[in-house]
Amino acid sequence: MTTRAGDIGSFIFERGKRGSFRRVLIALLIIGGLILYVGGKVKIVRLGYQIEALEREKRELERANRSLRIEASSLSSPARIEEIAIKRLGMIHPPKENRVMVRRKPTSAQE
Amino acid sequence: MIMERRGRILTVLLLMGLGFAFVALRLVYLQVFQRAELTARAERQQERLVKLEPKRGSIYDRMHRELAVSLDVDSIYGVPAEIENPRAVAQRLSQILHENPRLLERRLAGERRFVWLSRKVEPVKAEKVKALCNPEIGCLLESRRFYPKKTLAGPLLGFTGMDNEGLEGLERAYDKVLRGVSGWMIAEKDAVGRTVFPGGSGFRYQQQTKPGNDIVLTIDEVIQHIAEKELDQTLASSHAKGGVCIVMDPQTGEVLALSVRTTVHGRQAFNPNEPQLYKPAEWRNRAVTDAYEPGSIFKPILASAALEERVVHPLERIDCSAGKIQIADRMIKDAHENGVLTFTDVIAESSNVGTIKVAMRLGKERFSKYIAAFGFGSKTGVDIPGEIPGLLKDYRVWSGVSIGSIAIGQEIGVTPMQMAAAYCALANGGMLMKPYIVSSIIDRDGGEGKSFGPQPVRRAISEETCAKVNRILQRVVESGTGQKAQPAGYTAAGKTGTAQKIDQKTGLYSKKDYVSSFVGFVPAVSPKLVILVMVDTPEGVVWGGSVAAPVFKAIAEQSLAYLQVAPDDKGDRMLLVAR
Repeated sequence: MTTRAGDIGSFIFERGKRGSFRRVLIALLIIGGLILYVGGKVKIVRLGYQIEALEREKRELERANRSLRIEASSLSSPARIEEIAIKRLGMIHPPKENRVMVRRKPTSAQE
Repeated sequence: MIMERRGRILTVLLLMGLGFAFVALRLVYLQVFQRAELTARAERQQERLVKLEPKRGSIYDRMHRELAVSLDVDSIYGVPAEIENPRAVAQRLSQILHENPRLLERRLAGERRFVWLSRKVEPVKAEKVKALCNPEIGCLLESRRFYPKKTLAGPLLGFTGMDNEGLEGLERAYDKVLRGVSGWMIAEKDAVGRTVFPGGSGFRYQQQTKPGNDIVLTIDEVIQHIAEKELDQTLASSHAKGGVCIVMDPQTGEVLALSVRTTVHGRQAFNPNEPQLYKPAEWRNRAVTDAYEPGSIFKPILASAALEERVVHPLERIDCSAGKIQIADRMIKDAHENGVLTFTDVIAESSNVGTIKVAMRLGKERFSKYIAAFGFGSKTGVDIPGEIPGLLKDYRVWSGVSIGSIAIGQEIGVTPMQMAAAYCALANGGMLMKPYIVSSIIDRDGGEGKSFGPQPVRRAISEETCAKVNRILQRVVESGTGQKAQPAGYTAAGKTGTAQKIDQKTGLYSKKDYVSSFVGFVPAVSPKLVILVMVDTPEGVVWGGSVAAPVFKAIAEQSLAYLQVAPDDKGDRMLLVAR
């Protein structure tokens, strides 16, 4: 009895099981290769986004670092240090009579 | 039945075949015939041209402390075409940005796709704008120049414009070095505009950026602060219009501090972080751009020339008892009658009469030769923009009174930098050194930098004459007009000056406006620093020995202590300890 399914079956199996299996295998390999290729591409794009995000984060951190360095530089200005020393800590420039000049003793090599 | 079925299959296959054939033909059409146009369109859609701004180089002092640095900050922009209610948005933004709401509204009205609202704003303001979450208002990063030490060396450093171009001072003089080279890059973007593959194969660099080079100055931040602080105090107490202070290393010509102040009541000194708040007169570097009549601080130049030419001896007695001298049609007087003085005391007591008598002996030709040898009448070549050569007439067109006037520092215009450089020559044994501000350029791109060293210009006078002038100038500080310049623990040499200013209305010398100066070097025997102090139009006491000399003393004491220069004047109370 010839059925529609039988037609398909005969189409597949008519030329022998080995030949048809090879065709299916080739088709699967092509599809698999395509999936791998597309998957790889998708992964690269995803990594690209991650790299971009990390780059942005790096730039932000560098910016913050630079900003902090400027702040540190500003806070260590001699004008500010002197103001704190004199006004907050009550320090003064030593008067002449309180200064001691220490003369370095010549080393044996210099002697 | 079978035939009918096969017919249907063939029909379906035929249709499918036709379909595939159509697709294939379409692909050929698109891929082959339309290739160029579609490729270009795709590139336009997928690629983004990114301009890469170079990082402007930093400016450091001699100890590599930051004086000028760049930092990326947010600039606020708007998309007027998408804003429905510009007035409401402008009101909200004006509260955050402190900008005129009407101005903002005007910018936000219209159909433009991009408009700047406020550029290079403080991080706090940018955060508040971002918190509004308004899609029509955005932020873009731009590089902004910061001067962390605020007013310190403001007129010397100068400032940059909105596009980071140097507009004044060293920022302008070294703009090419500091600025760097812009780059361009093509980046891929996705459907929502995000950049894909940063730095990967999708990136095609057209031109790499080259960061600006850093420059290291000869300026010392601490000495600069000392000079500014002391000058400011004197300007405030004397109600002067302004002042200049220069500290130099006489052996090398390095400028260690350069302070220029213009007094505007109720306002602090020029701060390059906010240049828009100041007038050009407040940021002009008057140490090199303005000439003034130096007055008596010019007398050591005459003394050097006369001693070098042996027309006078330091101990020769000169009669100044008249207290005045007629020269051509002009009568020049001393501040007080001095009697008979040695030439050393003529300079120490700043006698105009004695100085003019010696100048007459020297003659204008020889005198003018030494004036030029000390660098007057020509630019010093210091690396600050806007330098002028001063005002010096050719001796052939001098009038009868010129030789006398120039000998006492009138009829000649000098810049403070020229005067400081000339005293460097007196301090180092007679060699005129070229003053310089930048000691090195650091290539941030790994290339070779550049270093600048001392540059002798010419020998102005011999070492022997220099030693004689040195002793005369020491006398000025020990017992002459400059006693208030004597720093504790150190020997010093220098000269006071009180020069009358020209009255702009009458064109004659003013009776009330003076320039008070003191310039000298410490320690006198082995000079480490040359310090020039010039105070413009002080009120009340106007003598250089009273106004400028104490500033010299204060700067010398603090700077030498900072530089750990051992005191050379033991004095009576200095305790010496052997270690």
